[in-house]
Amino acid sequence: MNKANPPHNAQPTSERSAQRVQSLAQNTLAGQQAARECAAIAADLGRLKALIAEAGDTLLASFNRVAAMAPQLSCNVSERRALDSAVGSAVTALQFQDMAAQLTGHAQRRLTVLQNCVHTMSADGTDPLLADTRLQPVKQNGMGAGSIDLF
Amino acid sequence: MQSILAVDDSASMRQMVAFTLKSAGYNVIEAADGQEALDKARGQSVNLVLTDQNMPRMDGITLVKNLRGLPGYSSTPILVLTTESSDDMKAKGKAAGATGWLVKPFDPGKLIEVIKKVIR
Repeated sequence: MNKANPPHNAQPTSERSAQRVQSLAQNTLAGQQAARECAAIAADLGRLKALIAEAGDTLLASFNRVAAMAPQLSCNVSERRALDSAVGSAVTALQFQDMAAQLTGHAQRRLTVLQNCVHTMSADGTDPLLADTRLQPVKQNGMGAGSIDLF
Repeated sequence: MQSILAVDDSASMRQMVAFTLKSAGYNVIEAADGQEALDKARGQSVNLVLTDQNMPRMDGITLVKNLRGLPGYSSTPILVLTTESSDDMKAKGKAAGATGWLVKPFDPGKLIEVIKKVIR
């Protein structure tokens, strides 16, 4: 290369270094922002989990009181049937706590992996642990009763 | 009175399962994971096992395999009650020796219907 006539697109070393520093700074800033977002999501998930647990425990305690009193109530056949049906529906609905806990737990595990990725991300790919957490067990979108298979 | 071993790491789920089974007239033995269930199964015989899949220490499918190796449990009905609904997991449960696969949330009436159909 002719020192006297450098290529048109060649940059001086100082300019290239400045761009590299700027790029690193941007990456660092982006990484810090991503880490802050992850921390905020983790805090929200923790609060959500606590709220669900508290609501679930309160509902369960109320359910137990009502369920204990139900057999002692004097009512006719149709009222008894309606009461049993309501208790049955409550049993199905109250399982939300278990499912919600599994979903939030899964989200927390994925977030931990993401946080680790933010810290250790390299140019050649993502953390293989991400693949392990892609399949989450709870596919249900509602609280209708699930399927039954007898083998 | 027929006895059912109910296994789930979620206290609220155990409570819902126990309430449903006791209301239907069954004696309920509770365990919080597969290992505890296996320990309790060794000390007594039960008429049916109802187990969750995802649990600490020992999962449901491992519990099924271990129970099938215990004397007196080769033909005991074992139902897996879980949030897992994939065909792959159901196939693993079947291969391990499970009698049936029920996806949460369960309907109390339907659960009792299934239990009455398979219990010995």
